[in-house]
Amino acid sequence: MTESEQDRDSAASLSGYDAAMATEPLQALLQQAFPDATELSVLDRTGGGDHFQVNVTSERFEGLSLIDQHKLVYDALATPLADGTIHELRIKTKGQPSE
Amino acid sequence: MSDLRSQITELIESEPVTLFMKGTPSFAACGNSQRALAALRAAGAPVTAVDILPDPRFRQELSALSGWPTIPQVFVKGELVGGADIVEELAESGELERKLTDALGPDYRDAHDVRVVELSPA
Repeated sequence: MTESEQDRDSAASLSGYDAAMATEPLQALLQQAFPDATELSVLDRTGGGDHFQVNVTSERFEGLSLIDQHKLVYDALATPLADGTIHELRIKTKGQPSE
Repeated sequence: MSDLRSQITELIESEPVTLFMKGTPSFAACGNSQRALAALRAAGAPVTAVDILPDPRFRQELSALSGWPTIPQVFVKGELVGGADIVEELAESGELERKLTDALGPDYRDAHDVRVVELSPA
């Protein structure tokens, strides 16, 4: 491997590693709470690993008020919310996949 | 019941619209607080803003009371409406104005402009 190839490789794995480090544990917690989710994504909004946008579409939200929908997400993420891992959280929930 | 808790309860129940935020309307210390305030303003809501930053107990008591872990929190006539995401979503769909009209009457816009109330540590 040439030096420039090595640089590219380590840069790629570094940036990929960082994003996954921050979002994967949250993704796993949500997956556990909403195993039937048809959409589930966690986005690191600032790249700083503490401002997140979470999108969940699940039948469990059907018929619930937005308050109760968001509370289910807060419940799923109670630990990272309490220990300060999540500094800011934006939530978008849907009961049914959009057309 | 702590003194602080009763202050918060009284505010929520007596004010038409209470916004618990980080900072003040003229200087919001957090993007989400700013978003909630902007959505309420756009709907013409008579907002009573409470800064929770001066004492960590403000936030602890509020969340213990409401069961909502994050700031901001918006209440209309004693009922928790939600945080920034929900208020923004309701504002975009027009449901926020309907909610305000239902709870406060059709002339809710005339009640008062944004005002600030301070909690006093017990």
